[in-house]
Amino acid sequence: MTLLPRIVPLGEEAITVGLGTVTTEAVHEKVRSLAHLLETRALAGVLEICPAYTTVTVRFDPDLTGVATLEPIIRAMLEGPLPFPAEQSGAAHEIPVRYDGVDLEVVAERAGMSPREVVERHTAREYRVYLIGFVPGFPYLGDLDTALVMPRRPQPRPRVPPGSVAIAGAQTGIYPFATPGGWHLIGSTPVVLFDPARKRPSLLAAGDRVRFVERS
Amino acid sequence: MTITVSKAPPFATIQDLGWSVGRAWGLPRGGAMDRVSLVLANLLVGNEPGAAAIEWALGPGELEFADATYVAVAGGAEVVVAGRARRTEATLRVRAGDRVRVTPTAGSRFGYIAIRSGIDVPAPLGSRSTYLPAGIGGLSGRRLKLGDVLSLGPEPETPPPAEGVSFERPAALRTHDQPPFGILPGPHHDLFSPAAKAQLARGTFRLAPTSDRMGIRLEGPPVVSTAPATLPSEGVCIGSMQIPSGGMPIVVMPDGPTVGGYPQAAVVIRAHLSRFAQQPPGANLTFRWMTLAEARLAADEEARALSIVGRALRRPLA
Repeated sequence: MTLLPRIVPLGEEAITVGLGTVTTEAVHEKVRSLAHLLETRALAGVLEICPAYTTVTVRFDPDLTGVATLEPIIRAMLEGPLPFPAEQSGAAHEIPVRYDGVDLEVVAERAGMSPREVVERHTAREYRVYLIGFVPGFPYLGDLDTALVMPRRPQPRPRVPPGSVAIAGAQTGIYPFATPGGWHLIGSTPVVLFDPARKRPSLLAAGDRVRFVERS
Repeated sequence: MTITVSKAPPFATIQDLGWSVGRAWGLPRGGAMDRVSLVLANLLVGNEPGAAAIEWALGPGELEFADATYVAVAGGAEVVVAGRARRTEATLRVRAGDRVRVTPTAGSRFGYIAIRSGIDVPAPLGSRSTYLPAGIGGLSGRRLKLGDVLSLGPEPETPPPAEGVSFERPAALRTHDQPPFGILPGPHHDLFSPAAKAQLARGTFRLAPTSDRMGIRLEGPPVVSTAPATLPSEGVCIGSMQIPSGGMPIVVMPDGPTVGGYPQAAVVIRAHLSRFAQQPPGANLTFRWMTLAEARLAADEEARALSIVGRALRRPLA
């Protein structure tokens, strides 16, 4: 049995706080609330707060703080009412997509629908940014229309073109750079997801909301 | 003052100690694989410990110096200055027009050449490190190639040590001793049976040739977990030992992803990461469970040893 929250060391310079075992909107709300509280409190020695699906990873300077100091503070935060401020509902973004991905036909066939219907279903809903990871700016978005849920490709491609819009499992995402990738490519976007020269280098942040808009 | 790449090295990149921000944006720590050697090379030319230097792997290459300066090579490489083999981990004088040839040595993976004043390239988000997967940092986000011209930063305040100065690495900084690598319980160690955890500390693992700056893959007795094959992705750190369903560990290295969906059985301790990064393909590795207190002690010893070397190399001001 797992006791929640699960607070465990991640090496010598971080801890991971687990708030659930499966990804749900309720768990992710807790994740965003705790991340927000930790950002606001600016605890001594805490360097970075990284929200993910069901966890918040807290990176710190081990000479200034540690698990023993942080664990009771975090438990107290989670026992109190978790504020869920309005700004935590996340910024809304529209991402233009040309649905020209090399896997669109295969995805349609697998889902037993036309490519057109894949596009309609993919653009029909607003997605939550659960986390940014894998490479800089890569958003893990969910949840995908259940009719489009399918396992990733058995063999990842060695190089996925940057800007590829892709799906895998219950997620959809965008490859910011030419990297290896095992997701199904259904479209492409000219949007730059990560630019170190921007004030906020990553276009998207955990908690943001994204809608894909078809462009020809 | 410029340096020209006069013979293209197969895999040389500009690296410093990496990014201290950006994990929540998916930016990895990045930077030198063997941080100890990078720092030693910098100290030997009077640079700040984390100045940008060149990380050298896979094969030889050559730099041509337009002006006289000091260089030092540390870690797994040999160095030839103007046709003469010179000591590594020593302060070397280079004259105007000299060519410096760096060759990685068999038995380790990364050599570092630091040049007095450090390499001057833009530092997006605070680091000059080259992060190849996104083409960020270093020289245009890529490996060095023939004809590249490198500029240097401002002259540091610390004078360079006298030419020929070298030192014996203190025990805490040695790479060729072979005690087992220290590991801490990872975030998911509860998902591994006591037998699987004992296996991890008892088995011998071979370093797979597919290892790179993103991750080191190990082959050995499978480490079996009771965990589902993948978990919802969560934070990883450098040294995180992830166990995919086949039971063959993958250890996250500086350019690796910031999150992962495989259970993390263990984390290689920070003080052993530089030595770990230098293990060549085919090396046989063993591990030993440690406590957080032991890991911190080892990290403190490493930091102290580097600080002592730094002070020992600082020439008294005349």
